[in-house]
Amino acid sequence: MRKIKIGFRVVVFLLVGGLLHYVLPQHDIVRVTSTEVIRMDFTPFNRLFYAQADSGNAEHTTRDVRLINTERKKTFLFGFIPRDATGVMVYRNEDTGWIWPPYFKFDSSNLQAEAAAEISNTGDEKWAVITHYGWRNKLVSIYPNAVGIRSIPGPDVRIIPWFNIFFFIFLLVAYIFIRSLWRQFKERSVDPLLADAGEVWAKVDDHTDAASAKARGFGARIKAWLDTWRKKPNP
Amino acid sequence: MGFIRLFVLGFIGLSVLYFVISIYSRSIRREKLEKAWDANPPDGGDQAARDAYIEQGMAEYEKGFRKKLILLVYIIPPVFVAVILFLTNTD
Repeated sequence: MRKIKIGFRVVVFLLVGGLLHYVLPQHDIVRVTSTEVIRMDFTPFNRLFYAQADSGNAEHTTRDVRLINTERKKTFLFGFIPRDATGVMVYRNEDTGWIWPPYFKFDSSNLQAEAAAEISNTGDEKWAVITHYGWRNKLVSIYPNAVGIRSIPGPDVRIIPWFNIFFFIFLLVAYIFIRSLWRQFKERSVDPLLADAGEVWAKVDDHTDAASAKARGFGARIKAWLDTWRKKPNP
Repeated sequence: MGFIRLFVLGFIGLSVLYFVISIYSRSIRREKLEKAWDANPPDGGDQAARDAYIEQGMAEYEKGFRKKLILLVYIIPPVFVAVILFLTNTD
């Protein structure tokens, strides 16, 4: 039983952690090498990992998706520890629209233009910070969605994830609030009910005790039991 | 279309939050009044006087400014949405 509980908690933790890792913004230090548009024919496997057609457009099973090709500085530990290595990374650039995830991004075309302005060649590198959410997976062809880009003088910058800091503080506050809400509800609404039930139970208990004290021998015992059903004189 | 969906769902969600918070706040207030009375009961104060004291305190709360602060539930999240929308789409 205890193992099932622990296993259940681990699964919940992984699911919530995975969701947050997918949805929360992360920052990459990149050098944009090119931008392009490819046609995507989604399958049920990867459709979930794409947003919808540009805001104001109709939704079809097939559409063009903007991509930003980059060379990216690699990091350890969700970007907290920089490494002296680079790899390639490809970002998609889609409107998230009004609902999910709540980035309210409508400026994909402008962002594509900004990314194109950052393109640079080896030997004359221009560096930029790309804010994005999502995962890259080669097996099912999914890409992180870029939500912002800004140029920086060099690749050695310290990025402080302000949004995530405030988000986790908010999460903690929400947890404390819900806990105190529950405690107040329990103290004022559930416990009094339980106390009432407890009193009733204690009465029943007294009653049977009194009956069994009277019971001497089998016949008397039956009579005592029958007495417990009889109407009591009012005190 | 997406905006209408967000508006409707958001309004329903925030309304649930509003009611939960107002019930919680009312409960806290009532408990405070009960404790204030029990800590220092006036002489000759019987159960009826205690009830009257609490009901009067609750009536004051219902009319008061603190209760209106809960309406911020409807204001703060849309402001956040507006700020995020601006920050994401500004060049």
